[in-house]
Amino acid sequence: MSSLALALRLTPYLSRSSSLRQTGLQQTKLRDAGLPILAFGTVTALLLTVAGGSQVFWSWSDDIAGTYQALAVVAMVLLVIPLLTLGASAARLAARRRDDRLASLRLLGASSATVVWMTVIESTLLAAIGAVAGAGLYACAAPFLGLIQFRGQAISGHAWLSVPSILGCILAVCVLAAASAALGLRKVVLTPLGVRTRQKTEGAHWVRGLIAAVVVVFGVVAMGMLSSFGAFMVIIAVMGGCFGLALLALNLMGPWVLRLQASSQLKRAKRPEQLLAARTVLESPKESWRQVGGVAMTSFVGVFVGVGMAVADTMGGSASDETTLLVRDINTGVMITLLGSFLMVACSAGVNQAAAVLDRASTLVALDRVGMPQKLMVAARVKAVMSPLLLVAGISAAAAAALVLPLVGPALLTRPVVFLTVGGVFAAGFLLVRLALAAGTAQISQVLARPERYASMDS
Amino acid sequence: MNAILHAQQLTKHYPGSVALDHVDFAAVAGESIAIIGPSGSGKTTLLHCLAGILRPDAGTVTLTSAAGPIRLDSLGDGALSRLRREEFGFVFQQGMLLPELTALENVALALMLNGTDRTTSEARAAEWLAALGLAGMEQRKLGELSGGQVQRVAIARAQVTGARIVFADEPTGALDSATSNEVLDVLLHSVAANGRTLLVVTHDPNVAARCQRVVELRDGRIVADTGRAVPSPSQPSSPSQPAPAATDFKGAFNV
Repeated sequence: MSSLALALRLTPYLSRSSSLRQTGLQQTKLRDAGLPILAFGTVTALLLTVAGGSQVFWSWSDDIAGTYQALAVVAMVLLVIPLLTLGASAARLAARRRDDRLASLRLLGASSATVVWMTVIESTLLAAIGAVAGAGLYACAAPFLGLIQFRGQAISGHAWLSVPSILGCILAVCVLAAASAALGLRKVVLTPLGVRTRQKTEGAHWVRGLIAAVVVVFGVVAMGMLSSFGAFMVIIAVMGGCFGLALLALNLMGPWVLRLQASSQLKRAKRPEQLLAARTVLESPKESWRQVGGVAMTSFVGVFVGVGMAVADTMGGSASDETTLLVRDINTGVMITLLGSFLMVACSAGVNQAAAVLDRASTLVALDRVGMPQKLMVAARVKAVMSPLLLVAGISAAAAAALVLPLVGPALLTRPVVFLTVGGVFAAGFLLVRLALAAGTAQISQVLARPERYASMDS
Repeated sequence: MNAILHAQQLTKHYPGSVALDHVDFAAVAGESIAIIGPSGSGKTTLLHCLAGILRPDAGTVTLTSAAGPIRLDSLGDGALSRLRREEFGFVFQQGMLLPELTALENVALALMLNGTDRTTSEARAAEWLAALGLAGMEQRKLGELSGGQVQRVAIARAQVTGARIVFADEPTGALDSATSNEVLDVLLHSVAANGRTLLVVTHDPNVAARCQRVVELRDGRIVADTGRAVPSPSQPSSPSQPAPAATDFKGAFNV
């Protein structure tokens, strides 16, 4: 029997057998399926909305159309890259809880190919369900999207993507989910016993930081040489590429930064919640990054939004009708970009926080047994998440500022509206994460109220 | 005899079954008590009710303390948490240790939760680990320890705070017989050397035979409660192994 055939046979069987567990049934389903579907649905809905909302810019061909298209590319990169990151994170969320079961299968003799196929099938199915739901949400939002005005006219029917485009987006989300899940299985495939006994923690090598720094430096240099690239479309492509690569680099570097910070905090920890918070991050820097990565991305976006508002501000005094429209449209664009970014943060924080509590349910019960008050458990969790937020948000904003400096110059970058915007974005992002943590606290109470349900959820 | 823990008419229902049926129970300070019975007899439910982990549907559980008797069944979550930090220690079959912490940190955490500073906590934790044969393994994660070593960490954590009562639920259930004997030696000797009370749930008659008293449950009721003459803790578990002296543990700790 081929690996694929075996995987097709085993996947429904394992899904059914996990649903027969008597304890924590609803919570298991929520964590293993509901949350990833929600995440994929949000990603798809936002991707389609961004694509639909920006396609109107490519229908113009006059002199100023290029300016709109350049701004649209920037906005799309600032939204699409974080959305794809969220999608990959959702795929890892869906796959992570299966790691233990899949490791057991490897130890029983299942081939690597079988295990990979099983993961790909499950993740793709969840992504497909979520993506179709997301497309439905986009269809509900499109009429309202059509009311948004650019260049003095509502975008109307331009907000609707063609059916092949929508299907293409759904397919892209599924491919992203499958690829992310398969890549994340390397550890299970190579060292199944290590996964089962949790001998080694997830590392975050310093090479990540080095690569990220090189990419940002490369981006800054490229931005400084934009005018030498000649054709306008090439300039737009280079600009978009630099911003996109920088966002990806931040995503790569994030876990390493968190590991460094947590190592330092571990040495200085004096109280139980400080010790636990540091060890929680060190146990899995990548998982910790998933909790805060959304805010880091939004901070990156915040700098561009602030610069956009500063640009609009400086142009506001001009008497030209076209320029007045452009200023208004820039403000509209930055608000939409910011809104999309915050929706992404809210989804990311909410999904990952909910999953984090369920994932650590048996640990919470163990802490309760040793007499740790619930408020200390909550304090440890809050510290593990909020402590790195300021650092990663600051690094992201600094990287964005470095990239945009060659474009706009220091005078524009240091205008008060930029600092106010970035500060506002920090505050709003932190608030969203804090709200997600508060929702998770209620979950902790539920877990501790019925500890017998969760005492062996990890087995 | 002064009972340190006293339960009266304990009753606990689960859907479709009666886990505890008007159970009366008392434990004297310094006793080692095995609670035995077939699967589903209510052993773990009794242990959890006595430890304040489960609230009984009826009946009372009273802990004798210096400040007077404490009714566990009427305490709030905060008070129960404090009891678990200060008066009780737990050793479970699956350990219930934290995989992200090292062996040392797992033991030290129990002291830190009581307000002891980290340096002192880790120093005392290291003493306990060394006394239980884990010297040099303080920085290992649980995945790097054998099953028997993990249970020794759990035993250290259960007692490092000076808990008066240690509750053990199938502490050797997942271990082979040789390792079970070693872990049981460690548990019984360390508990006895420090004058603590031990309640151990087990289905293993060999474990029960090592305790001073055996309580047997069946269908949620105590059907036998026998104080037994057992070898003193100084006698070895097997002829070939010299037993650690009871004072070995007592001398190592100033609890």
